[in-house]
Amino acid sequence: MTDISAGAAAQSAKPTIFFDGVSSRRRQVTLTLDDALEIVEEGGTPVRWAYADIRRADSPAGILRLASTSAPPLARLEIRHVALAADVTARCARLDEHQTTGRGVAKIVGWSMAAAVSIVCVVLFGVPLAADRLAPLVPKPIEQRIGDASEVQVKTLFGRRVCEDPAGKAAFTKLVNRLRDAAGLDDDNMTAGVLPSPIPNAFALPGGKVFVLNALIDKAESPDELAGILAHELGHLKHHDNMRGLIYNGGTSFLIGLLFGDVTGSSAVIFASRSVVEASYSREAETAADTFAIDIMHALGRSPKPAAELMFRITGKEGGGLTSILASHPLTEDRLARMTKEDRPASGPPLLTDMEWQSLKLICGSGKV
Amino acid sequence: MQWAPIGSEPLPPPLPPTRVDFTGDRSVFRKMVTKGAMLELVTFGFYRFWLVTDIRRHLWSNTAIDGDAAEYTGRAKELLVGFLFALAILVPIYLAYFLVGIEFERWQGFASTPLFISFYAFGQFAIFRARRYRLTRTVWRGVRFWMDGSGWAYSFRAMAWGLLVFLTLGLALPWREASLERYKMQHTHYGDLRGDFQGDGWEFFKRGWWLWLLSPVALVIFPLAPFFYAEFKAREWRWWLNGIRIGGVNLASELPHNAFYGVYWKVIGWWTLLSALFSLYLGGAAMLLSAAGVGPTSPDSLARSIPLLALMVIGYLALALALNVVMRVYLQHDIWVKVLETLEVHDIGVAADVQGRGDLASALGEGFADGLDVAGF
Repeated sequence: MTDISAGAAAQSAKPTIFFDGVSSRRRQVTLTLDDALEIVEEGGTPVRWAYADIRRADSPAGILRLASTSAPPLARLEIRHVALAADVTARCARLDEHQTTGRGVAKIVGWSMAAAVSIVCVVLFGVPLAADRLAPLVPKPIEQRIGDASEVQVKTLFGRRVCEDPAGKAAFTKLVNRLRDAAGLDDDNMTAGVLPSPIPNAFALPGGKVFVLNALIDKAESPDELAGILAHELGHLKHHDNMRGLIYNGGTSFLIGLLFGDVTGSSAVIFASRSVVEASYSREAETAADTFAIDIMHALGRSPKPAAELMFRITGKEGGGLTSILASHPLTEDRLARMTKEDRPASGPPLLTDMEWQSLKLICGSGKV
Repeated sequence: MQWAPIGSEPLPPPLPPTRVDFTGDRSVFRKMVTKGAMLELVTFGFYRFWLVTDIRRHLWSNTAIDGDAAEYTGRAKELLVGFLFALAILVPIYLAYFLVGIEFERWQGFASTPLFISFYAFGQFAIFRARRYRLTRTVWRGVRFWMDGSGWAYSFRAMAWGLLVFLTLGLALPWREASLERYKMQHTHYGDLRGDFQGDGWEFFKRGWWLWLLSPVALVIFPLAPFFYAEFKAREWRWWLNGIRIGGVNLASELPHNAFYGVYWKVIGWWTLLSALFSLYLGGAAMLLSAAGVGPTSPDSLARSIPLLALMVIGYLALALALNVVMRVYLQHDIWVKVLETLEVHDIGVAADVQGRGDLASALGEGFADGLDVAGF
């Protein structure tokens, strides 16, 4: 038994302090190391801590701070005397049992890796599957509402003006209706419009909305060129690509954000990995919409090639290397090659008369924005 | 020592103020955050819960008031569970936000932008609740700190004052801080002692109004901005510390106005150095690759080479890791030490025999703060 009387002088210079976890009173105590640790305050009832219950608590260097699992949770014993601290440490076998060890850290790393692998698998396989299955099931009214909301946004962006020259609009409607009938889109809510913008482009919105920016009409040299592009957009509607993209993008951004948490500056990594993953998904959808456009043009007895030529005039030859990984659309030269292969001599009547085509070109007034 | 019966002794003379000592070793802290940053990288950020806990344990247990060191009893698993619970609550909220946003957009383009403000309110709630978690894990002399009060009431105050600050172009900021701090401190307790905040907005305004006036200058003369920010932070800290009361215990701070100049400039210096190294590394990698024939052949295809992209990502991660360590060492550790150096505690005797009270708060607030990316104390 190690009695403390021998080191009493040393102990009073480096006192042992006890906090009972009930009040903040600083109690100067002496320790008796028996079959249990006995904490004795002058004039107070001694407190006994079983060695197996004693755990180390955080403390500054030079102080051994102890807690006991069977005492009040905040009761603390502070030993400042080095020899005494060593003596107590030697008797408490389970002193550091609760600390995170190297094995504990390895476990954290292992579980994080497992979580990361599972999230990556869900992003690569689960989310596309969910998007494909869920998109057709989204109720029409919800899709319509999302579409209305994005239409308001788009129109705000393009200056709240719609091109509505009566003769041009009639020609445009005729073109769209012929394509729609050929496409077998039985959606009564489908709307199409021309917006004034110097950017040659066309896009589809949820809820059966197709918009053409008038710079595209300016650049088109024949109705077939424009028709092929419109048919491509109708393909997006037919395949619910907007809702699929919405579910897919929402799901992947959420999961990738979850994966990287808040490592400082990780947003760039998130952005980069999202771009790569989403672009590949979008390329698939674009290829499917091209297939759809080719089928419609064939059904109407017209060639899909002029549309690809129009695209090629607009984008020129696109590069190789990294851009092909990040591109949201297939490369224009590949699309041109594909549509050239599908080129057939016209067997059906022209989609618009020359008169109608001329008025369509003037749908935004003088053609200038 | 003999104790006279209470009531019969004359009033004791005021005791000299007590100092607050920091006994931590800076290199220990640096090694801890370096190792932590690396683990954060290989665990895709999940290690942050453990690193944050280790940082707090180190800072708390090395801070000694009146000779007794504090202790942080929070554990990383609590933070992880809090984060997961917060996610489970935030996900439906994000969805609802999305759906309500659509209705607003249908009505008017971009009308849903103000909805974002609701997330700011939620962030304020999270700040209050996260503070409660940290306080209930702060133990000194075997008695914990704790908090009551309502997170939503706090959030409402923060929003109302925030609007006023916005309308007055920032001039109302001192009064906002005083009001919010009063709410937080009046609901803060140490055992059966209740906290209070005595700092007033006018006092803070007098110390910092010229910084507000000069802030447009910093936008033009860019190198002045760190000085201004350091001045502001030092004045804010000093004012804040001087206002804190817990029971009869007063804090007093003599923090010099230029205390943080060094810290901020060192961070900027490291940032510049590391960015320069990163550019050098990128340039070197591009040259090596083109010399080896696998890299870009023309400047045009520079950004398209996949090996270069891989090297870029590796370099970027190393840069992020190094910056992470720099920020934690200077902005957390060094500022903590500088603030404590000049801190005095008056009438600590009041806290000599305080009865323990208060229950542990859950880490849900910390989870919200993490999920919403807000910070504050």
